[in-house]
Amino acid sequence: MAETTFMGVPRDKITWAPVIDYTRCNYCLECAKFCPHQVYEIREEEPRLIVANPNNCVVFCRACAKTCGPDAISFPEKSRVLETIKALRQQEGGK
Amino acid sequence: MAAKYVILPCNGLDKEAGCLARELALKMAAAMDGEIICPVLYQTAPSRYASLLQEGNLIVIDGCATRCASRIAANNNLKISRKITMAEEAKKRDYNPGPDWRLGAGAAAFVEDVWRSWQPVFMEQGAGRASEENTGLFAGPVEYAIHRHDKFIFRVPLEGFYFNENDCWVQVEGNRGRVGISDYLQQNLSDITFVTPPDPGTEVEQFGEMGTIESAKAVYELVSPVTGRVVAINEAVLEAPELINENPYEKGWIAELELTNFEADREFLLDGRRYLEVLKEKVADFNAGK
Ligand code: SF4
Ligand code: SF4
Repeated sequence: MAETTFMGVPRDKITWAPVIDYTRCNYCLECAKFCPHQVYEIREEEPRLIVANPNNCVVFCRACAKTCGPDAISFPEKSRVLETIKALRQQEGGK
Repeated sequence: MAAKYVILPCNGLDKEAGCLARELALKMAAAMDGEIICPVLYQTAPSRYASLLQEGNLIVIDGCATRCASRIAANNNLKISRKITMAEEAKKRDYNPGPDWRLGAGAAAFVEDVWRSWQPVFMEQGAGRASEENTGLFAGPVEYAIHRHDKFIFRVPLEGFYFNENDCWVQVEGNRGRVGISDYLQQNLSDITFVTPPDPGTEVEQFGEMGTIESAKAVYELVSPVTGRVVAINEAVLEAPELINENPYEKGWIAELELTNFEADREFLLDGRRYLEVLKEKVADFNAGK
């Protein structure tokens, strides 16, 4: 189950989720096994792993990247995401 | 008398990061009069190394994030005293380990540099370290709120602690803050086997990396609730990571920071009462998701 807000901001307005570099990924699926939030989805066809539910990803979590041997997982830049959250919160507060 | 070291490197011979781990192990063993454990032999004949492991401090050297060496140690309940990950050392130095076993052109210089940066750490450990007692400033929580779920009990201190939604807390006294993980995260990870706090002097940003915690289940990156400079780490937790399981809010603190931006940081933090609400939702969601 995904949280619907993060720090008071609708989760779907925050672009935080893992990005898989398929040139490095070897489909060991450690990341998918690790994450308890159903962010990843394992499929029959190629690519065999996708980020199916980006909004389930816990904002600022990067834990699955630590399990990735080939270092194929990256995330958006934290400071920019934080800027977005700040701006959205101000909008909310200003209403 | 220098402490004796036993070194368990990763056995990833198919990747450069693994070979770098081996190179570093050889260098360390020679320099510190240490002994190397062969990870392959250890897995087939662990008794061969039993007495070595009893005598010495165990240093684990992982190659890449697959962490074969750490996993061998965890599976055998070995107590790790220090851990080095070549992939992370490489990142710090902009060295790019190749995808196969071949050592790159700068490999020797890179390994030498890694060793030079770690050497003082081992020398210091051998000499014994005076631990700074400053428990006076940070008193333990006065009152805990409790959330029960089945046989689980989650505690949240109500006063003086602030949380982020990533389950890390900060306890603030003046311009100092102690950071750690919540009872919820601690119970999720179960038995904590190793803690890597940020180095003293590191500038940490709010929501930036604040070290890692490992359990038999996983490595977990901690998300800092505040911005500041690390001024102390909890040496007791390095020695006994289980303190975090025992009490994550008192003995189990991880690092102490000089806070540089707390007024602004606070805007993004939850006090104990609000965190308790978040925690209840997480517990409910976690069980619904199963
Ligand atoms: S852990 Fe890394 S290599 Fe393994 S499946 Fe996930 S992205 Fe691919
Ligand atoms: S960053 Fe955390 S929440 Fe997001 S996919 Fe990875 S483990 Fe799951």
